[in-house]
Amino acid sequence: MTYPTHHPSDETLLDFARGALSPGRSLVLRAHLGVCAECRANVRLAEAVGGALVSELAPAELAPDALAQALARIERPPPPLAAPIIPTPDNWIRVPTDVLIAAARRKRWAAPGVWVAPVMRDRRTGERSYLLGIGRGIAVPKHTHKGVEMTCVLTGAYSERGNTHRAGDFAEVDEEVEHKPRVTWDGECVCLIAADNALVARDLIGWIMQPFVRI
Amino acid sequence: MNAIVFDPSPYRDEGRSPPPGKVRRVSEPTTASQGFAEMIGAIATRGDRGAFAALFGHFAPRVKSYMLRLGAEPRLAEELAQETLLAVWRKAAGFDPAKAAPSTWIFTIARNLRIDAIRRGRRGEPVEDPSDAPDAEPTPDQALFAAQSETRVRQALLSLPTEQAEVVRLSFFSDKPHSEIAEELALPLGTVKSRLRLAMRRLRDLLADLA
Repeated sequence: MTYPTHHPSDETLLDFARGALSPGRSLVLRAHLGVCAECRANVRLAEAVGGALVSELAPAELAPDALAQALARIERPPPPLAAPIIPTPDNWIRVPTDVLIAAARRKRWAAPGVWVAPVMRDRRTGERSYLLGIGRGIAVPKHTHKGVEMTCVLTGAYSERGNTHRAGDFAEVDEEVEHKPRVTWDGECVCLIAADNALVARDLIGWIMQPFVRI
Repeated sequence: MNAIVFDPSPYRDEGRSPPPGKVRRVSEPTTASQGFAEMIGAIATRGDRGAFAALFGHFAPRVKSYMLRLGAEPRLAEELAQETLLAVWRKAAGFDPAKAAPSTWIFTIARNLRIDAIRRGRRGEPVEDPSDAPDAEPTPDQALFAAQSETRVRQALLSLPTEQAEVVRLSFFSDKPHSEIAEELALPLGTVKSRLRLAMRRLRDLLADLA
C-alpha cells in the first residue's frame, strides 16, 4: 500500500477544522484525508483545539424555555445507528460516488488526451471544482496561478520539478509557483481540482477552460 | 435573568452506574470531560433525558456563544445551538469516547451545522464528513488519553506564546481568510501564517499521542 507523500499545509488543515475552507477546496481536501491518516490526525488535533476554545467561551444567555423546547423535540428515544459503519480501506480515494457520476455526465474533451468534468461551482465566490483527466505522457503548458489552487490526484501520476504526485497526493499552489506538470507514462492521470474560476491562468484558458463556457 | 447555569455535580452524585459497555472506565479521577462522555453514553444506551438536560445546560450556551462570535444573528445562533444539541441526542450512539473528547465532538457538529446553514440555498456538497469515519480500533491507552484530552489540549494552548495563541483563537472565532485576520491585527500575512504553523507544530509535539 502506498501512502501519500505530498500533504496540505497546516493552514489548510486548520482552515478545514475551523470550517473556513470553501466547498470545492473542502472536497479536494477530503479526497486526501480519505487516504491520509497523518492529516486526519492533524485535523482531529485542530478540532480538539476548537472544542477546547468553545468550552472556554463565556456562556451566552439562552431563551428561558430553550431546554423545554429541546426536550419537546426529542419525544422519541434516539434511533440506533442505521447500519454498522464499515471502515473503508486506506487506499480508497473518498470522493463521493454521486459526485463522480454527476461529473462524468458533464465530461468534455478539451484537447487531444485531455478532458474536464465540472464538479461544482460556487455562485457566490466563483470557485469551481472539476475533474481533469490528462493522457499518459502529456505535459500541461507552463502556467502560474492566482489564488490558491488545490489538487488531489485520484488516479495515475504526474511529475513536476523532480517530484512525482501519485493517487492521494495533495498539492496547493499559488501565484508564486510557475509549474509545468507532466503526466507519467503509466497511464491517464485524473485529478480533482478546486480553483477560483476568474483567476485561472491565461495560458491555460484556451487549453482547458473552453468546455466550461458551454455549461 | 434566565440564563441556564449548569452544575454537573447533581447528575454525577446520583450514584448512577455508567451505561454498560459504552464508556471505557479509566482509573484516573473523574474529569468533567469524562462526565460528559458518560452522559452521551447514557443517551445512547437508554435515552437518558436527564443526561441530555445536563449536556444541554453546559454546551448549548457555549455553542450559542460560538455562533455569535462568528457573526450569527442571535436567533440563528440560538437555533444552531438547539440543533447542535439535538444532533448530540440523535447521534449519541456514534460518539466514541476513545476517539474524541465530548467538546471536540460537539464542536465538529456545531461547525458543520453552521456551514450547512450558510450554504443552504446555495449549491451544497452532498458528502459525509470523513472525519466522522472510523479509524482503526483505539487501544486502551488511547482511550485513557482521550478521556484526559480536553484538559491536556487546554494546557497545551496555555503553553503557547501569547501571539501564537492569539492567532489560533482568532482563526477559530472567525471564518475570515488568514489575510483578513492579518489585516485586523495589522500584521503581514506571512507573520500570521508562520505563527499558526508554529502553534500547530508545538501543539502536535505536545499532543502527538492524542491525535
